[in-house]
Amino acid sequence: MTSVSDIDSNLIVRRRRFSAEPALYLAALASAVMILLMLAALLVVLFAAAAPSIHRFGADFLVSTDWRPNPLPVLKLNSHGRPIRDPRTWMKVVDHNEPPRFGAVASISGTAQTSGIALLLAVPLSLGAALCLVRIVPVWLVPPISFLIEFLAAIPSIAYGLWGMFVLGPWMGGPARWERIGGVIPFPAGIESRVAAALVHLPGFGWLVERQVGGKTVPIPTTGRDVLVAGIILGIMVIPIITAISRDILRNIPRAQIEGTIALGATWWQSCTEMLKFSRSGLFGAIILGLARAAGETMAVLMVMGSTPNVSASPLSAGATMASTLAGEFPEAATNDLHRGALMELALILLVMSLVFNIVARYLVVGKTIRASAVA
Amino acid sequence: MTSMQITRSKIASRIMYGVCIACAAIIILTLLLITGYLLVIGLHSLNWRFFVNLPQDNPPGMRNSIEGTIILVALAAAAGIPIGMLAGIYLSEYDANSMLAAPVRFVADVLAGVPSIVVGILGYELLVVPMGTYSGWAGAAALAFIMIPIVARTTEEMLRLVPGSYREASIALGATKAGTILRVVVPTATGSVVTGAMLAIARVAGETAPLLFTAVGSSRLVHNPSEPFPSLTLRIYELSNEPSPETRMQAWSGILVLIALIFLVNLSVRYFTRQRR
Repeated sequence: MTSVSDIDSNLIVRRRRFSAEPALYLAALASAVMILLMLAALLVVLFAAAAPSIHRFGADFLVSTDWRPNPLPVLKLNSHGRPIRDPRTWMKVVDHNEPPRFGAVASISGTAQTSGIALLLAVPLSLGAALCLVRIVPVWLVPPISFLIEFLAAIPSIAYGLWGMFVLGPWMGGPARWERIGGVIPFPAGIESRVAAALVHLPGFGWLVERQVGGKTVPIPTTGRDVLVAGIILGIMVIPIITAISRDILRNIPRAQIEGTIALGATWWQSCTEMLKFSRSGLFGAIILGLARAAGETMAVLMVMGSTPNVSASPLSAGATMASTLAGEFPEAATNDLHRGALMELALILLVMSLVFNIVARYLVVGKTIRASAVA
Repeated sequence: MTSMQITRSKIASRIMYGVCIACAAIIILTLLLITGYLLVIGLHSLNWRFFVNLPQDNPPGMRNSIEGTIILVALAAAAGIPIGMLAGIYLSEYDANSMLAAPVRFVADVLAGVPSIVVGILGYELLVVPMGTYSGWAGAAALAFIMIPIVARTTEEMLRLVPGSYREASIALGATKAGTILRVVVPTATGSVVTGAMLAIARVAGETAPLLFTAVGSSRLVHNPSEPFPSLTLRIYELSNEPSPETRMQAWSGILVLIALIFLVNLSVRYFTRQRR
């Protein structure tokens, strides 16, 4: 039954609250829509800016190993295949210039190499540490260690970059020698050349430390500014992330699950492997989040390795990741539409890749922990 | 199972027990080594002049960069936190199960993982190119872009923890929806919402990549955000490319100041959450 008084009270409420009520709703709605627009803006702007490169190279961009921002001069050759020289200046004569060419393979392979090394290092250590935190460390010690790990996840990447550039890089590179950490603890510096010296005699490992130059096999110089060091720094950077998330996942395993395995006579490690198996999808998600972070990292890679896009199998050669190519070459590309377009297409690939990683990871970790969004 | 196998798996278990402890120890030692190094080297050239002098002065300081970072982060927070909170309120309080909420939630999660260099490039294309100059506004906008999804999702999670009975009680007492949200739900969750906001601030304070092509850095004392703007992280990056070791030492001190800022934010978050529990 609707009475007159009902309608009246509605009117009164509406008159009193007319401003706050729809205003808050509209503001909240607009903010929510804005989040959708942010992703749309990313995709649209990058796609539009990448247009010159997409138009020019098409799908070739994804399979080409070239990355040449400048025209490549091709020399005029005589019938013997020798360069012809100008009789007056004795300079080699340029026949024509190959136009600039861009391909993503060099940057993608650099990203894959550095992230791969990072995960090789970080995953076993992080899972071991997470198990240690959940199963071994006494309860009173967990909060300080957890705080330490979360704090380390919050340290800016430029700090790791600086450390990698001036401390780890010089330790890894250069000739084998002994240094003292803080003037006290002896440290075998020149690790790369030590390892290279050992590997060079092992059959099947030569490609790691040697390369072909003009038909001859020469050792790759150990500079300490290479894929290996960048990968190690990325590994150190993602360790706190993977550890924190997998600790939360392992901690949320029902106690009965663990107690059940022990009651059946499992040893400590057997019950641990059961825990890992039980939560494997969540742990896999944690690893993918670490991978996404490593693959998208810019500053640390740029500082440790620089950006020289080339394709090389050896982790001792310098390379570039997609992110470091972007940061390293963007300033000089501002006036060159094609170069800028190629960088934008790299950014687009990087964006799509990170979207895929994050979608997969959130799907796997979803509901298991809210920390995933806070840490990574 | 034979007794042999049992002993073997017992030994394996012992070994793996040790391996797990070793993993934790290696991680903690490595990370302590790095932070210890930053601390010792950074303190070496840190004195009060570092905070009040400009890069051109003698001895050089980072006053402009420290202020620049604080201003940039404040501007980013002024835009990012309200928008992020409102989006969180929408997701938790208004149309939590609507056709719009699920994609917004999903996109916010995904945006939180977008590499920050890509955000910087977006800022360049959308703000620097039209405005014709690098600016603090563009830098702050890029940082706000990073904050919004983080704040939105943490706010949503925290508001969801507020018991439904609070909302019902408030409505039953005649409060409007907006009144319930602003006077009951948000105040109840203030502690944890502030935590989320502070974590987002700590995250963007250390960002370099989004500022590379937006704020771009400056060696002067700039307070006007429509000019190229200094930031601590940009200055550190710039210094790391300096050939002379003495100049480079400043980069370590800059890192130390930056980490100290982030550490303070983290500690205050701890304090805040402890009070509420």
